[in-house]
Amino acid sequence: MRGMTRIQRSLSLLLVLFASQGTAAAAAPESSGAAKKVLPFQDNYAAALAQARAAKLPLFIEAWAPW
Amino acid sequence: MRAFVFTDAGLARQAGRFVWLEIDTEMRENAFFRQRYAVQALPSFFIVDPESEAVVLRWVGGATVAQLNAMLDEGHTALVQRRQGTPPASTAAPEASKPAAGMSPDALLARADELYGEGKNGEAVAFYRQAVVQAPSGWPAYARATESLLFAALESHDYATCTEIGRAALPKLRSTASAVNVAAIGLDAALSLPPENAQRTALVTEFESAARAIVDDAQVSVAADDRSGLYAVLVQARSDAKDSLGAHDMASRWAHFLEQEAARAKSPEGRTVFDAHRLSAYLELGEPARAIPMLEASERDFPDDYNPPARLAVTYKELERWDDGIAASRRALEHVYGPRKLRVMQNLADIYRGKGDVSAARSTLQDALQLAQSLPPGQFSESTVANLEKKIGSLPNP
Repeated sequence: MRGMTRIQRSLSLLLVLFASQGTAAAAAPESSGAAKKVLPFQDNYAAALAQARAAKLPLFIEAWAPW
Repeated sequence: MRAFVFTDAGLARQAGRFVWLEIDTEMRENAFFRQRYAVQALPSFFIVDPESEAVVLRWVGGATVAQLNAMLDEGHTALVQRRQGTPPASTAAPEASKPAAGMSPDALLARADELYGEGKNGEAVAFYRQAVVQAPSGWPAYARATESLLFAALESHDYATCTEIGRAALPKLRSTASAVNVAAIGLDAALSLPPENAQRTALVTEFESAARAIVDDAQVSVAADDRSGLYAVLVQARSDAKDSLGAHDMASRWAHFLEQEAARAKSPEGRTVFDAHRLSAYLELGEPARAIPMLEASERDFPDDYNPPARLAVTYKELERWDDGIAASRRALEHVYGPRKLRVMQNLADIYRGKGDVSAARSTLQDALQLAQSLPPGQFSESTVANLEKKIGSLPNP
């Protein structure tokens, strides 16, 4: 895998995480398009922040990538 | 997480307690997010005070439903306390950068979470460490604090702390989901110690033994990708020991585990989650062709997803099936976006290079360089630009 140290590589596999400097396209399991029926996720930061402020609720953020 | 955890009915009680936001960090309009928040790995999860946009709690990597429920409860409580101005009993100023005498484990944890949330991993390690050292037996936050400590230390390349904390934590977390990550990080950190470290061999042996026991423990309820990660580190441990047969055997077990998990998936999406791990296992085994049927099925099921053809392109490159690799890359490029597009383009350039078409390789890399230079702050990477320039420079002259 391109330009990775062993630790970077194992981290990527270990955590299923792939920072922008990390891994090849081969090793990246987060798939897009998951049906989210339980938790009402939205995808606009400004709108979600405004809603959280208005409702006085904490904001839960999932930072992901379609890998 | 997206396919298995967030859809679990066990999280229903949390639905009204938060506003839920997903950020696709590859999208250009979300580039700001990486500048504002400490996204050092993906997936990352944040519980944020919307008034100040301060991170109350950060979590990196996967989690079971039980772990996520606990994390959400902790984050919710921490935010309520923050608003009421009644943080956990603490004698330290909120902006403290070092643990002070008299701070309770809860106060230490709260400050550690703040620092970790800001991406100040080194400072967070000091607070997390003190919290877990001081923690009384049965402290509810012990597992979460330990995992956060280990991630923060690993991100700081503080391998000695990882092994020290991991050794202390494993007996306490035996048969819990956290044990998998503790063993994996501990073994990973031990392997990352310099060869001249006198403790390295003993630590690797100790963590590898623990990891082998845990990876086979079916009683441990843990996310499949976490268990997969443990297999991956175990393969590395055998490779590190120059035990090629042992590495091959472990990779075989890893692939078998993943194939079983994929077969159990209740939907194509659930099955596809394992594609990348399975491809990695097959590559470790030196059997990339085993990935082709699964990736072809995924491409049929998800024709708009760039991942299956991108992974096929990697597979075909390994097999030196250059024209198939070029075709798969082109299909992937129709759908991929953001910084990840650079990876697909670089793989395509490698394929052209393997085929002997240096001109096409150069052209592809130059296009990639142009794209890399055009990415906005938050997605732009100096090292990526430098790597591309180096790669172009290394091509034979026409």
